[in-house]
Amino acid sequence: MSNPVIIEIENLTKTFKHATEPAVNGISFCINRNEVFGLLGPNGAGKTTTISILCGLFPATSGKVLIDGKDLRTELSSVKNMIGIVPQDIALYPTLTARENLAFYGSMYGLYGKDLKDKIETWLKKLGLIDASNRRVSTYSGGMKRRVNLIAGVLHSPAILFLDEPTVGVDVHSRNVIIQHLKEINAAGTTIIYTSHHMEEAQNFCTRVSIIDNGKIITEGTPAELISRNAGSTNLENVFLNLTNRKLRD
Amino acid sequence: MLNKLLATVKKEILLLLRDRVGLSVLFLMPVALILVMTLIQDSAFKSINEKGIPVVFVNNDNDSLGYQIKQGLLSTDLCYVSDSIDGKPANSESAKKAVSEGKFLIGIVIPKGATASIRKNVSAMVSETLNGSDSLQKQTDSVEITILIDPVAKKSFLNAVTSNLREFISEIKTKIMFQTFSEQIAEVIPDKNNTPKNSYQKSQIIRYKEIFASTATEQIVPNAVQHNVPAWTIFAMFFIAIPLSNSILKEKTEGSVFRLHTMPTPYLLLINGKILVYVMVCLIQFLLMLAVGKFLLPQMGLPALVLGNSMMGIFILTMATAFAATGFGVTVGTLATTDHQAAIMGSLSILLLSALGGIWVPSYVMPEVMRNISAFSPLNWSLEGFYKLFLRGGGVEDILPYAIKLMVFFFAMMGISYLANHKKRTI
Ligand SMILES: Nc1ncnc2c1ncn2[C@@H]1O[C@H](COP(=O)(O)OP(=O)(O)OP(=O)(O)O)[C@@H](O)[C@H]1O
Ligand SMILES: [Mg+2]
Repeated sequence: MSNPVIIEIENLTKTFKHATEPAVNGISFCINRNEVFGLLGPNGAGKTTTISILCGLFPATSGKVLIDGKDLRTELSSVKNMIGIVPQDIALYPTLTARENLAFYGSMYGLYGKDLKDKIETWLKKLGLIDASNRRVSTYSGGMKRRVNLIAGVLHSPAILFLDEPTVGVDVHSRNVIIQHLKEINAAGTTIIYTSHHMEEAQNFCTRVSIIDNGKIITEGTPAELISRNAGSTNLENVFLNLTNRKLRD
Repeated sequence: MLNKLLATVKKEILLLLRDRVGLSVLFLMPVALILVMTLIQDSAFKSINEKGIPVVFVNNDNDSLGYQIKQGLLSTDLCYVSDSIDGKPANSESAKKAVSEGKFLIGIVIPKGATASIRKNVSAMVSETLNGSDSLQKQTDSVEITILIDPVAKKSFLNAVTSNLREFISEIKTKIMFQTFSEQIAEVIPDKNNTPKNSYQKSQIIRYKEIFASTATEQIVPNAVQHNVPAWTIFAMFFIAIPLSNSILKEKTEGSVFRLHTMPTPYLLLINGKILVYVMVCLIQFLLMLAVGKFLLPQMGLPALVLGNSMMGIFILTMATAFAATGFGVTVGTLATTDHQAAIMGSLSILLLSALGGIWVPSYVMPEVMRNISAFSPLNWSLEGFYKLFLRGGGVEDILPYAIKLMVFFFAMMGISYLANHKKRTI
């Protein structure tokens, strides 16, 4: 617990099968305990790929990852117990209700009984989903699905929380509520790794950000540092556009 | 772990219950298939079953052999025996023609002097034995009885019938031989009171009766119900491969896979939860189909399903079939990359395996090459097992080889899925 660094990434590379270019190309960085770390980058930059490796969805082609001092390659199962994940794509069963989805995922993370029930109840209330909680998820609006998707990742109060664009397609009201609750989770001791295309939100939410493009990290620092380092930029969005050359990505 | 497994099972049951179309495919389709196929095939099986197999009988012998064979045939309801063709008495030529034209499925021709020839053989044998002389040339049984088989029906289950027929005929031949033999002995050794021949003869005759009894039980020809109920139940059980593989693929494509593979829960546990639920589905299907066979079919004027006498055998075989079917579904779901692919892969392979396995057309009707291939289909193992139980009154020991094969198939499928899954995740 003494080590302030919770995630250590060294020379991480991922080249997908049949791909010519690596999706993640030798990145190295550290994430400190209790940080809100933003991984920002244009489409196809390699954000989701990086997060997928960190969660153990698939192995890296090369490089080393230590999570809380544990090597991902050898101690994946104990790492899995520490993390929560809110994937970019909604990972819910459309024909189940919000409650049923959350009960299932909560159980998979080791929750059960009254504890599980109470946690589901609390979170449904927090994110304003109580009324709809017994409806099938397929009948939800996009924003509602996002919120349930979020709860499924935070229900078990993980030590490390990965958020891959958790607020995409969510209206301003919900967005603010979500960020507010995420800040609370963070204050309670959870380290957050977060990706977004919403620069204003990132600037407000993250304690430190890293800008990634073409699988490589271009720059890193607190939002304020990045803004001051880039002459003429008044906010993170300016920095981002300047550094990533304003051209369209795939 | 138990909590997790229960949660998985609950999720799987809910998913299944919400999938109305999938459910109806699982339960209504086999009921419909059983009804339709049984009603269609009933008349076909009936023509054989009620009147019996049409047999033309040409008796050129006109002595005890011909007479006894004819009596034997008349006494079973397996055959419908006729000795005339289109009103004219049959001879070997016209019988051959009639059988080849399909007017009769089987023709039996007893050659002229058959009984006499047997008697002659026996006397020769007797005198040879008693005189100890080798001067007589060795006689062999030269009585040739011809069995004609309809070429179209060839290789059909008639094979089973004709082999029974051959056995029966040779029994009668032997019987006549023994009768002659004992008569001859009686002539040579006139002491009637103290010869072993009486007891010898008696014991032989009794033995014939026993042979008869056992062949009679072997002679059950499956009727439409006895074939179709187990056949389509097995088919339906294997058909769960489609919803099962679909459910695996949905999890992959609906994004859940991200969570499923990053949770602190082994993926195998999730799969095991699925297997448990789908095995239960198979058992329910099986019970439903038994109920259809026992109660619904008789309502429609069809014979009721006869279950045989080993409930334990039925249970073991059903479980093994259920596991084999779910294992197959897991493999399809793992190998396919889209649910579309899984549906096509699943249904085609099941159609193929079921056709090969004798679900549509019983394997004993297949040509020998196909029958040999058929033995590779897990559906065939199951069906053969159910035949043993439902038709031959077999017990646990009779179906055990089939059940073991099905379980081996299940574990092989799980192994393949494990490897494929392992390979796929290293993208
Ligand atoms: N499973 C895969 N197989 C092959 N290539 C992939 C796979 N997943 C991603 N890629 C490629 O890897 C690169 C990085 O993709 P990634 O999803 O990490 O981008 P991202 O930064 O998350 O983008 P976005 O902001 O659009 O979500 C892209 O070029 C993408 O086409
Ligand atoms: Mg992404």
